[in-house]
Amino acid sequence: MGESSMKMNPMEQFEVKPVVPIHIGHYDLSFTNQSLWMCIVVGLASLVLTLAVLNPRLVPGRLQSVAELGYDFVANMIRSAAGEDGLVFFPFIFTLFIFVLFANVLGLLPGSFTVTSQIAVTFALACLVILTVLVTGFAVHGIGFLKLFVPKAPFVLLLLLVPIEIISFLTRPISLSVRLFANMLAGHTMLKVFAGFVIALGGAGGALAALSVAPMFLIVAITALEMLVAFLQAYVFAILTCIYLNEALHLHEHH
Amino acid sequence: MPDPDDLRALRERLEEAKRQTEPRRNEAPPTSLGIAFRFATELIVAVVFGAGLGWLLDRFFHTRPIFLLVMFVLGAAAGIRNVMRAAAEINAKTKGDG
Repeated sequence: MGESSMKMNPMEQFEVKPVVPIHIGHYDLSFTNQSLWMCIVVGLASLVLTLAVLNPRLVPGRLQSVAELGYDFVANMIRSAAGEDGLVFFPFIFTLFIFVLFANVLGLLPGSFTVTSQIAVTFALACLVILTVLVTGFAVHGIGFLKLFVPKAPFVLLLLLVPIEIISFLTRPISLSVRLFANMLAGHTMLKVFAGFVIALGGAGGALAALSVAPMFLIVAITALEMLVAFLQAYVFAILTCIYLNEALHLHEHH
Repeated sequence: MPDPDDLRALRERLEEAKRQTEPRRNEAPPTSLGIAFRFATELIVAVVFGAGLGWLLDRFFHTRPIFLLVMFVLGAAAGIRNVMRAAAEINAKTKGDG
C-alpha cells in the first residue's frame, strides 16, 4: 500500500463543492463546481459550434465539417427514429445531444468534473424529455393520447395490462437518467481505482514498482473505452428521446 | 447562358447524390455493450420502481404488504415489457427496414 496519508478515494471526484457560497434564507444556492462545469460545457459547446459556422465555406474546413457531420448525424437519427415530422424537434434533440456529449467528453479531462455523473442533472434532463413527450402527445392527439396505455387485448386482460403500461411509461425518465448517470459514475470510478493502483504499486518500491506499468497501460485502454462510452451514451440519450417522441407523434402506428 | 441540358444533367446528379445521403437509415449500429446496458437498466429500474411505488402506497394506506407485493409483480411485468420493446426496436434497426 502507498502512504496512508494520501487517502485514495475514487468517489471524491463526484463531490459537489461550493465555489461561491450563496445562502438565501434557508436555501443553499451556492455556485458549485457542478454549476461551474455546466457553464464551461455550455460555453465551450456554443463557442465551438459558433466558430464552426462563423466563416462558412462551400468546401468546409475541419471544424465546419465536424459541425456539419454532427448536424447530419442528428438529423438522420431523428428521420429514422421519429419520421420526417419529428424534425420539428431538431433544435431540442441537437441541443440535448451536444450538451450530453460535451459534458461526457469534458468529464474525461483529468481534474475536471463530470456534470452527467450527477443523477440530479440527468434526471432533470430526462424529466424535460418526458414533459416534452407528454405535451406533444396531448397537443397532437388530445385525450386520445391515453390510447398509448391501452394495447390491443381482450377487456379482461386490459385490467392487468393498462397498469403495466402505465408503470412502463413512468419508468422511462428513471431508466433514461439512471443509464447515463450509472455509465459515467462507473467509468470514472474505474479510472480512479486503476490510477490508485499505479500510485500504490509505485510507492511499494522494488519489483512491485515495475509492475505499476501494467495498470498504467490499462488506464490508457479504459480511457479509450470511456471515449466510446461518452459518445455512445449521448447517442442513446438522444435516440431514446426520438423514439419516445415518435410514439407521442404517431401513437402505435409504427408497429 | 448555361446549356439547359447541362443544367438538367446537373439536377439529376444532385438528386442522385441527395438520394444517397438523405435516407441513410441505420447509421450507427448499437454495440453489444450498449444493448446489454440498455436491457439491464430497463428491467432493473422497472422492478425497483414498481416495488418502491408499492411500498409508498402501503405507507400511505397502511396496507402493508399488499401493494408492495402487487406492484412488485406489476413492475417486473413492466420491466419485461420494456425489454421486449427495446429488443424489438434494436431488431428492427439491425434488420434494416424489417
